[in-house]
Amino acid sequence: MATLQRPSTTSQQPQEPSREAQQAGIAVWKWLCGLLMAYVCYGAFYVARGATGFTGGAGDTARIVFFHVPSAILSSVAYFVAAFYAVRFLTRQPDTETDVKSAIAIELGFLFCILATMTGSIFSHAQWGSYWNWDPRQTSILVMLLIYAAYLSLRGAVAENVQKRGRLCAVYVLVTLVPAFFLIWIVPRIPALASLHPPDTLFKRENTGPDYKAVLYPSFLAFTLLFIWMFQLRLRQVKLTMRREQARGYNG
Amino acid sequence: MTPQPPPHPAGWLAQAFALLGKDVRAEARTRVAVSAVGVFTFSALLLIGLATLTLKEVRTVNLLRLVDPITVASVEAQMRPAWDPPAKFGLLWVLLCFAAFTGLAHSFVHEEEAGTTMALRLAMLPQAVYLGKLLFNLVLITVVALLVTPVYMMMTGMPAGNPLLFLCVMMSGCGGLASAATIVAALAAKARGTGALYGAMGLPLLVVFLMLLINAANTLYTLHPAPLRVVRDVGGLLSYSVLLIALSSLTFHFVWEE
Repeated sequence: MATLQRPSTTSQQPQEPSREAQQAGIAVWKWLCGLLMAYVCYGAFYVARGATGFTGGAGDTARIVFFHVPSAILSSVAYFVAAFYAVRFLTRQPDTETDVKSAIAIELGFLFCILATMTGSIFSHAQWGSYWNWDPRQTSILVMLLIYAAYLSLRGAVAENVQKRGRLCAVYVLVTLVPAFFLIWIVPRIPALASLHPPDTLFKRENTGPDYKAVLYPSFLAFTLLFIWMFQLRLRQVKLTMRREQARGYNG
Repeated sequence: MTPQPPPHPAGWLAQAFALLGKDVRAEARTRVAVSAVGVFTFSALLLIGLATLTLKEVRTVNLLRLVDPITVASVEAQMRPAWDPPAKFGLLWVLLCFAAFTGLAHSFVHEEEAGTTMALRLAMLPQAVYLGKLLFNLVLITVVALLVTPVYMMMTGMPAGNPLLFLCVMMSGCGGLASAATIVAALAAKARGTGALYGAMGLPLLVVFLMLLINAANTLYTLHPAPLRVVRDVGGLLSYSVLLIALSSLTFHFVWEE
């Protein structure tokens, strides 16, 4: 923040102007993200009328969908982002940054997974009458939480050797792709388990009007931008921490 | 280290079987894994027997006291949901999962402890090591399942359903368990993790697997299930272990090589 207020740092530090220009360019989508998020918060209550067609009645409770569904989707997208960086780490770029990116995706996925579980639980109480009823999707998000937590505990256990930590964590992400794949696409569709989650309610024309979609689709965009933003912030923070520790001579 | 295969015979398959033979001989000598898994499993069986004692008692007492057939039927119906054949099957596999996770960690940890990891790394291809350990774990878990399942069936009265299908489901169950346990054991041994880490990393893999198993058990205990349903459910179970083995064998050398 301090660097932004100083106008004449260009002569002392040659990198500064390019970084500021870069930040100014990026700031546009950050503003967009903020505006969209504000719009979604407002629109969820004032633009969209309730939806119909949810199991167990509908209406105003369906407004939580604008926050619940994007976080649920992001919680699994984050996993695939982590898997992408894990593959990259193992095949092309075995450097700390790629490893850290994979870990950050997992951390954010964990966060969004918790958010999706909490909002889903509230929605479930309003809609089906209980906070938890072992719906297949509820079970699968619980297992996703476990997988995220297991990754983070593995990461904590091998903190001393960076290269080894990167390899083990990347392998664990790739191996747990199998249960993640089953949880996201297969378990909710097992007929014996009979999910109460509607597969296509949101997109049917008779259930949600244009006013509903006018909030839903911006909400997906806003959450995606938020994810990218948080990802970048956390990456910068981790890099700075690493630099500070190197300067102090810890060499973590 | 050396990408060249050793001069002598040993394609990776032969190497894997050599490793399996070595592990079986070592196991026959010390019986660490078998005794650990065996004692664990039978004490767990005892615990389950004791924990479900009242469940049976309520049923017999009520059935003796009640004369009205409708009430008997309703008591039976109340008993069923908690203790029907798929639930018994599920509980058997919970037992086997935990048993596997006490014993199968041993396969890599003892190499690290004995300091033979480096020798193994020099002598064999990573894929051969993976396959050898997987086969050993598969043999171990199959032996345990063969010993435990009849006792469990006698104890709880779990029916077998269609024998061929039962065998298929049990075997694919053993395969899934061994494949999950092997790669997690490799990771945990490298992470110098304690048993707690091993359990924490392995159990999320097994929850999904258990869901698929119970789904297959539902089919197993359905009278005359549609063939398509059998293929789908048992195939789903098999595909889990196949995918896991494929991904593990692709990534194993990243764990194995320093």
